[in-house]
Amino acid sequence: MIRAGRAQALLHNVKNRGWAAWALAALFTAFYVALYFTEAFTPIAQALGLGSKWTLYGTLYTIAVTAGGIHVIRKYRHNRYQVIRTLVVIVVQCTFAYSIPLLLKFLHQPEYYFSYFWPLKFEYLTPSYLASVPLPFVLYSVVGSLVLVPLLAAFFGKRWYCSWVCGCGGLANTFGEPWRHLSDKSTTSWKIEKVTIHAVLIASVGLTVLLFFTYGANKSDPQLARFTGEFQSYYGLIVSSILSGVVGVGLYPLGGTRVWCRFACPMAALLGIVQKAGRFRIAVKKDMCISCGMCSKYCEMGIDVRSYAQANESFTRASCVGCGMCAEVCPRGVLNLVQIKRAGQ
Amino acid sequence: MHYVIIGNGVAGITAAFMLRKRDPHAQITVIGGESDYFISRTALMYVLMDRMNRRDLEPFERRKYTENNITLLRAWVTALNASTRTLRFADGASLTYDKLLLATGSAPNPAPWPGVAHTGTGILNFVSLQDLAKWEYHLPATRRVVVVGGGLIGVELVECLRHHGIEVDFLVRESWYWPMALAPEEGEIIANHLRRHGVQLHLGDEIAEVVANPARQLTAVRTTQGRELPCQALGACIGVRPAIDWLRNTQTPPACNRGVQVQADFRTSLPNVWAAGDCAELPTGQVEQLWYSAKRHGELAALSMLGDAVNYTPPLFYNSAKLFDIEYTTVGVGGPESYFRRLPGKDVSIRIMHETDGTVTGFNMLGSRWDHAWFETWIAERRTLPHVLKNLAQAQFDVEFGRVSLKALGVGA
Repeated sequence: MIRAGRAQALLHNVKNRGWAAWALAALFTAFYVALYFTEAFTPIAQALGLGSKWTLYGTLYTIAVTAGGIHVIRKYRHNRYQVIRTLVVIVVQCTFAYSIPLLLKFLHQPEYYFSYFWPLKFEYLTPSYLASVPLPFVLYSVVGSLVLVPLLAAFFGKRWYCSWVCGCGGLANTFGEPWRHLSDKSTTSWKIEKVTIHAVLIASVGLTVLLFFTYGANKSDPQLARFTGEFQSYYGLIVSSILSGVVGVGLYPLGGTRVWCRFACPMAALLGIVQKAGRFRIAVKKDMCISCGMCSKYCEMGIDVRSYAQANESFTRASCVGCGMCAEVCPRGVLNLVQIKRAGQ
Repeated sequence: MHYVIIGNGVAGITAAFMLRKRDPHAQITVIGGESDYFISRTALMYVLMDRMNRRDLEPFERRKYTENNITLLRAWVTALNASTRTLRFADGASLTYDKLLLATGSAPNPAPWPGVAHTGTGILNFVSLQDLAKWEYHLPATRRVVVVGGGLIGVELVECLRHHGIEVDFLVRESWYWPMALAPEEGEIIANHLRRHGVQLHLGDEIAEVVANPARQLTAVRTTQGRELPCQALGACIGVRPAIDWLRNTQTPPACNRGVQVQADFRTSLPNVWAAGDCAELPTGQVEQLWYSAKRHGELAALSMLGDAVNYTPPLFYNSAKLFDIEYTTVGVGGPESYFRRLPGKDVSIRIMHETDGTVTGFNMLGSRWDHAWFETWIAERRTLPHVLKNLAQAQFDVEFGRVSLKALGVGA
């Protein structure tokens, strides 16, 4: 039941797909379309002394993560996992994803985001990029993307990245807090998610391999070079711009905060595969679940956590980003995020 | 074979899925009067607080019933004839069964106070979807509510009402909160916690009379200590009893006492009729009225209906709750002595009950999370207090980085 008062009615409306949520979704979508496909923000950025529209966007993003993060920390101040995780999200955003790249640019170095890795930041493992940056950046990109990220995921699950470090997840878990419950929990959407996210992963890995192959062929085959170029520009348009930006954030008030992470992020797909084989799992306390469904309701990845809890099944789902909110909202303390040693490890 | 289950609560639905699991071809019908689909009534409070909507109350996707070929029927059963194996519904229709499970659950105890008969509106319970709808109807015009009853449903209702900014007078008959489960120290922690949430808690007081205006609307409650508490609604959370009134007057009533009397295999006195969940009274005279017990009963009653040998005795008692922000876990029974520690300044405490020789009999934990399986193991193994204290850390189930410090609690000191 909605609380009394106009402000509360509006809040409910925004959080529950009312007209205000649709309006906000339209606004977010328009913002991203204007940002990605026009230069409308360039004059504003220059007037503010920020140089490019991307710096303006980064500034707004950092403000959103910080303000939302402070709200989240206050809301969940009794839960140290949430407090520490959110603090890390804010700090990573303010440093690795904002001020350090700006500083690097100022020092005439590559504007490098140390919190992003391939395949989320696709170009960090493309031959032309690697050829254009100094060796330390090359090493960080290669070792980070291919060794560090999967290794940590094997031990701690994908959460160390998806809900502690990643900027997309960071925005979802801070600014996106009012909409986390809107994710679809049906098995149908689970089936769709498995198809789409792995399709993007295949496209992403395939394109990377193709780029190296084309680079190695040294443009001796113009047809191949043209195909690779077209593939890359479509990938950039569809995955990097439309799916991660326009759809990813534009749909916050309608589809929940993790539409991109759940259905399309190649990094989430890759780490999900590692997670399934790794040590992370959600432990379910035996015979203590009362099927209230708060865990499922507040799972931003649309996992029907209740179905596992009421069946007394500890579980690992590839999509789980380990935000810990199921454990937070459970009124019987049934759920816990743990690392276990599986048989043979 | 046609299995019919009266009651689509947790006992009935658990039984239906168990029957299906073992018998892929039987016809299975589940009759529910309260809702079209099984709902989790434990979450009614979250709907009242706008943290969930009604559809979220359904623990299973609707497709699961069709996939399992379980027929759900929305009806109230009014009569049972065991000699013709026929049920009759409120609308006059009827249904025959081969085997029947009574899983009708609980109904709230009726308000016993003088003045109730003259009060048309304003006295509400909080156990069903219909109760939820009544609260939603009443709350917009409500400023003050009296809630009576020192159990779990009462405190959950109080939390909902405070969420909506309503002034609440919470009457608890006993001299501290929930003496059935808590010692005075824990009762005081809860009492202070409730008061910090703006609840007017009146301990050791109970309703003497309810007062209504000529329009038969509730206007106030008078207490035995002489308080007159003006209110627009009264939340009567004074316990529940087996919902079997309709059975007592039917053509072939099963043997009933407080509930439908069952054997250890959940058979009633009638042929081909079983009973499970809150409405069943065990051979010991016990009536178990928890989510957990209903789930157990449903599963075992189904096995019994399938012809398995079932011999149920209630396991070691355990339960959990959340009282506003304070989580509560209890396992086992009390003992003559107990070991109590409280985290200074926090609503966190542990109590380990034991025999005079130190054998641990039960646990009462407030404000932190515990894996009750360890407690059950220690009690079953008849461990002593020093052993339990030494190993207590492995039963902790708090969130990462949030583990309560046993040292700060004073364990071992």
